Amino acid sequence: MASMTATTLSALAALAACTGPVDAHHSFASFDRTKQVTLQGTIKEFQWTNPHAWIQIVITDEQGREVEWGAECGSPNMMARTGWKKTTLAPGDRVTAVVNPLLDGRPNGALVTITLADGTVLGPGDAPPPRPLGTTPR
Amino acid sequence: MTTPSRYLAVCFTAMVVATGCNPAQPPALVGAARTASERGFTGVFVPTGTFADPAGPAPWSNTPWPRDPPFTAWGAAESARLADHSNFTACSPGGPVFHMWEIGLFPLQLLEAPDQIVILREASGVPRRIYTDGRRHPEDLEATWMGHSIGTWEGDVLVVDTVGVNGRARAMNGVGSNAQVSSTDDDPRLPASDELHLVERFRLVADGELLEDEITIDDPKTYTEPIVLKHYFQRRPDIDMLEYFCNDNPRPGDDTARSPAAE
Repeated sequence: MASMTATTLSALAALAACTGPVDAHHSFASFDRTKQVTLQGTIKEFQWTNPHAWIQIVITDEQGREVEWGAECGSPNMMARTGWKKTTLAPGDRVTAVVNPLLDGRPNGALVTITLADGTVLGPGDAPPPRPLGTTPR
Repeated sequence: MTTPSRYLAVCFTAMVVATGCNPAQPPALVGAARTASERGFTGVFVPTGTFADPAGPAPWSNTPWPRDPPFTAWGAAESARLADHSNFTACSPGGPVFHMWEIGLFPLQLLEAPDQIVILREASGVPRRIYTDGRRHPEDLEATWMGHSIGTWEGDVLVVDTVGVNGRARAMNGVGSNAQVSSTDDDPRLPASDELHLVERFRLVADGELLEDEITIDDPKTYTEPIVLKHYFQRRPDIDMLEYFCNDNPRPGDDTARSPAAE
């Protein structure tokens, strides 16, 4: 059965770094960056859109009710350079997502990581992976 | 046409107007002569502040933004206004300094033409145009997001003078209004007013792999003294620019009802 666990990780400042320096065209101020929620559920929709992509995930809460969460990602351009494709997620896929939830308790979050059915772990998108000087093909 | 046949066609064309075609030479040298404007700036560049160390590769270190900027009273008030999360800049253009953000996440593309250099930022639909044809700033300049830029060469250094911005852009240091951006959220917002006068010195360093932009920000309405920064960008021919239309999905983070499935 799908489940949801919410854990307050107020001391884990290091984890905030895992979310990357998201280019906030939109507000990330509404998310609690000190808290993480793990969502195990099923993909309902994948919005591969700028400025930010969104993942809609249906989970079953501890009362057995279905709840739809939205997980905000980075730009598809940033995601494409860090392992994502438009086809990475499809409706019905089973995933485990970790998000920073909204401060007000409603079911949206800023994506931290998502684990796909095949075990692949992806982040919310980031800058092109850096290359040390002298290693870029000319 | 295949590459070899295209090469032969180029050779044949060149032979008509020249004296021969040396197969050892790449086709680019056989075609039109390089113009004086081609200084090697053309290419895709990634801000080096996106490296694990935001300073970038030593010794080409990005200058940290001032934590205690020399604000005027107006500048301090404007900085506070931009820090208010209810003032939302969203997809607005960034202005000429934010365009050159050292941790900009998105690549830049520089394109050289005979009369101008164009700087595209992937996440912006508004390019910077730097005119290098000797023109001056217009006297009846109308303020715009990017302002008016003219460039002159001092040896291999491109000196760019920019005025005429509209003062409406998001903070120059990349900290967006209505945004909580990881560690930078506590940084002061550095506004630019319509009195911004920008002088930049662009040059290629590190054997041409890095683009250096030395930026002198003179904005007496906002700051009591100029701010001077150096930002670096790494040449990345392995990266293509991607399309980016910011208004695809104007869904705020706290909008739980804007999922298309919910509409």
